[in-house]
This record gives sequence, C-alpha cells and structure tokens, in this order.
Amino acid sequence: MNEPLRIKWKKRLAPIHLLGHAVLLGFGLVLLYPLVFMVLSGFFNKTEFMQTILGVFPTPKEPTLANYKSLILGSKDAAVTTYLANSVIRTAYNTIWALLTSFLAGYVFARLKFKGKDQLFLVLLATQMIPGTLAIIPTYLEFARFPFAGGNDVFTGGTGILNTWWVYLIGGPAINIMGTFLVKQSLEKVPIELDEAAIMDGAGTMRIIFGILLPLQLPIMAFIAITTALGTWNDFVTPFFYTTSDGLQTLPAAITRISSVGASPGAVINYPMIITLSLGITLPALLIFFFFQKYIVQGLANTGIKG
Amino acid sequence: MRRHRDGVIAAAILTPMFLFWLVVSGFPTLFGFFLGFFDWVGLNDKPNFIWLDNFAHFFRDPVYTHALWRSIWLGGLVTAVTLAAGFGAALLMNLPLFGKGVYRSIWYIPAVTSTVATTQVFNIFLDTNNGVINNILKALGKEPIVWQYSASWGIFWIVVYSVWKGVGGAALIWLAGLQSVDPVLYEAADIDGAGRWGRLRYVTLPGLKPIATYIVITSLIGAIQIYEQVLFITNGGPYGQTEVLVFRIYRDGFWDFNLGMAGASSLIMGIIVIVVTVIYYSWSTQSDRRTTIPVKPLKGGR
Repeated sequence: MNEPLRIKWKKRLAPIHLLGHAVLLGFGLVLLYPLVFMVLSGFFNKTEFMQTILGVFPTPKEPTLANYKSLILGSKDAAVTTYLANSVIRTAYNTIWALLTSFLAGYVFARLKFKGKDQLFLVLLATQMIPGTLAIIPTYLEFARFPFAGGNDVFTGGTGILNTWWVYLIGGPAINIMGTFLVKQSLEKVPIELDEAAIMDGAGTMRIIFGILLPLQLPIMAFIAITTALGTWNDFVTPFFYTTSDGLQTLPAAITRISSVGASPGAVINYPMIITLSLGITLPALLIFFFFQKYIVQGLANTGIKG
Repeated sequence: MRRHRDGVIAAAILTPMFLFWLVVSGFPTLFGFFLGFFDWVGLNDKPNFIWLDNFAHFFRDPVYTHALWRSIWLGGLVTAVTLAAGFGAALLMNLPLFGKGVYRSIWYIPAVTSTVATTQVFNIFLDTNNGVINNILKALGKEPIVWQYSASWGIFWIVVYSVWKGVGGAALIWLAGLQSVDPVLYEAADIDGAGRWGRLRYVTLPGLKPIATYIVITSLIGAIQIYEQVLFITNGGPYGQTEVLVFRIYRDGFWDFNLGMAGASSLIMGIIVIVVTVIYYSWSTQSDRRTTIPVKPLKGGR
C-alpha cells in the first residue's frame, strides 16, 4: 500500500505537474476575476458604490443584500422582475422548440429515405456559415411590414409585429440547424435494426421517435438544451432591436438600454443598476453550467469531431 | 413504397420548420443582400435601384475600407492569441493532474456569461474617473489613462475581452483533439525513444492537423464578425477608429438608416466568410473532412 502511494505522490509533485497546476490555477483565477468583481459589487448600495474609490476587491462598509433581493422581489428603480420573467419565458420557449425541432429534423435526416436528402442537408449546413448579424436590419424591415399585423394593410400603415410578443414567438419553431446536425450524427450510430424490430412489434412512427429513439439521445438533447438556453438567455439582439416597450425587455436588453450604447450621450451610467441586472443574468447561467457541465464538455467535442 | 411513405413523413415534419426558418432567417438574409443594390436612406424613403454604386462607394470610402481591414486583422489577432493560449492550456489540461476537471470548468466559465453583462464589468475597470485600473495607477503615483481617447487602447481591450471569453472554449476543443490522437502512436514513439518534446513534435502535432484546420477556420470566421464587444466597450470610438465592419453595418442600419450601404457591406462580409469556408474545403484533405465538420462554434438563440 505504501509503495504505490509514494509513486503517486512523486508523480503529482513532478515539475511539469507543478507547472500545470500553477498555470491552470493562476490564469484560471484571473479569468474568474471579472465575475468575482461583479458579485462583490452586488453588495454595495447605490450611493456607496458611486462614492467608493473602487479597488481590486471592492468591499462595502455597509454590505447590503438589497441588489440580490431586488432580483426576486423587484426594485423601485427598474422593472427588474419583469425583465427576469421575460428572459425566463423566452428561454424556456426557445429551448423546448429547439429540442422538438432538432430531434424531429435529425430523425428525418438520419432515418428516412427520400430524394435530395443529402443535398438538402448540405444546403442547410451551408446557410449556417452566413453571418447571422447581417439579417438584423432586413428582419427589422420584415417585422415592420409584416402583412396584416399591427395596423398594417398588406405591407404598410402600422408597425407590424415590432414591439409585440410575436417577435419572440415566431423564431421558436424554425429548424435548429446545429441541433439537427448533432441529432443526425448521433442517431446514425444507433442500429436501424432497432427501428425495424419496433415496426415488427407494431409501433408507429411517433412511438419509434419518442418511445425508443429519444430516450437513447438524452446526452445530446441535454447539450442542445443547454446551448440554446444559454444562447437565448444571453441574447440582447432580438429584444433590443425589435422591441421598445419596457414590458417586453429581457435582462440583457435592459442593460443595453441603460449602458453607454443605449443611454443618451453624456448621461451618467447607472452602474449599480447594471451590476444588479448583470448578476440576474450571470448567476443563473453559472448555475445551469455547473449542473450540466459534463454534457457541455462532451458536446463541445462532438461539434468539432465526428465520433 | 417505403421511400414514398418516408417522403411524406419528411415533408410533414420539415415543411413547417422550413417556413418558420424562411420567415426569421432565410428571407431576411436574402433580402439583406438585395438591399445592397439600392440607394435607400431612411425607412420612409423610396428605394432606388443603383446597380453596383454602393459597392463602388464601399471601396472608395476609407470609413468602410478601414473597417473591413480592421475586421480582418483584429479577427486574425484575436484568433491567434486565443488559439495559442488555448493550446497551451489544453496541453496542461491533458496531463493527469489532480483536479483537472475543475480547471476545465473554471476556464470555460467566461464563455457562458453574457457579453452584455461582462463588458459592463470591463467598462467599470476602464472608467476614467473611478475605474479600477486608473485607481491602481493613481495609487502608484502614475497619471491615469483616458482609455476612451485612444484607439490603440480600445483595440487592446477588445482583444483582451475576446480572448478572456474565448480561451476556455478553444482549450476544450484542443483538448478533445489531443485526446483523439491514437494512444498506440504514443507507445510506438516511446519505444523509439522519443522524449516529451519528440512526442509532441512527431505524434501530437501531426495528429492534430484536422482539428487544427477546423478550429482555426471556425474561430477566424467567428472573430472577423466580432462586434458586440466593440459596441459595448468602445462603441466604435474615438472618432470611429475602432469600428469593425459588422459594427459599421449596425451603425449604418440603426443610426444612419443607410440601408443600401448596410446591405452592400453585409454582402461583402458574407462573401468573405463564404470564400474562407470554400478555401477550407479545398485545402483540407478528404480524411480531414471525415473527422471534422464546419459547424458554427456554439452560439445562437435568436
């Protein structure tokens, strides 16, 4: 017992291992520092934050939980809970749709045989490469001229679906290309005999999809859920560009509006409120990450490397 | 018979998804490309078809050529620093260290945070009056720096932020690549008497080639389209000297309502990305492509 343990410790104390620990831990803490700063700033009250000369680790004289509480109980200064609720609803909605569409479309491309399937899939992958940011302005125009919505006659007259919940709802059911790709890749490793045996037993398509194949794909579905959830949760583009009313804002869009980007020029930036809202975005994202990191690490490798 | 039934099911499942996709992604993208051929300023103005004038203007006006050039070298710089740092970290993460899972998580954490939220923390660091860095400088008896007046410092902090956010993801992909190298090759190298350096030079690096091409290309495609950190950290300033092309597109579209130029710039950016992808495809060998796929690095949620 003694001998192997000594070898183990000798290995652990090898110079290259010590270097590894020093670098990975040292830089790792540097990477965490902005988040530590954010959490510490959250304990200040507004006036004290503005008056304190901020050091590397700012510590308030009168620490308060008010900022953290306002995320749940609401604040007088901004509709924090509304933003949070909008963020949660939007994230849940997009995640559920991403799971459903990725799995169904992945099943179609992995299992069904029809003409032009491979070409269609290649076209889908190619469209992924076109930068998404480029569609922001045309999407704005399209939403503004959405036929027969928001006071529009056919194309003009009103504001279309801008500044309505439709802006959030309409994107959900669209095909999720990355998810489709991952499901297809993973389903192709499941032997087709499984489907055939199920058909012999009299199972229909829906039963094969949801009763037999889906339960086998839970890790990949978890990965799709996490990436979609984090992507939607952190997204400021859709709410910032296509909505204006306060009741429709999500947390990232609310920050954008009071930051140097959205505030009127020369205005004093309300950093304490920004910190509160930032904590509202960051802490849940970290929680999701900690609970599901296994799937993230696995899935990240899968997107780059064919298994 | 089977094929026909499959076709019906496929159509039933895919058609609605495609229609929604067309509305939120396909049609706006195409529409955006067409905008480039029109003179269209202001939402209520009538669009006017002007052939390629916007594109000619693009290459004559230094505002655009500088933004394009900046996108390219900034993207290259961010990619190089992120991938180099990520590779170093991955080599260390690949050691049988005690608690290596914790390191992987810590390094990846910045990637899951919101750009909007974390750039604001950077802005607090960089504030002129009460910024953390300037407070430190003052405490050391040095002159505080007005970061916002300097294009070079602006670029510097954009790079720092981008690397901060990207290095963990790069390290994880490199790590997956390192672990996909066949262990038998290492044993063979050991028998041939290769040291740590020899193993890296003759086994690891050649084995990493497919994943290296993949990660360089996808990172580059992502990095030349950086604009959120520019928007939130420098907002293009001072005097537009930190504007990158995608930021310029946003500026044209939402501040100046110059929809024609925004469309033209979009098309040029789209062409660059497509060209890079095509070069990747013709460059990489068949076996590279079998092991890697050009899917977008994780991001999304529109």
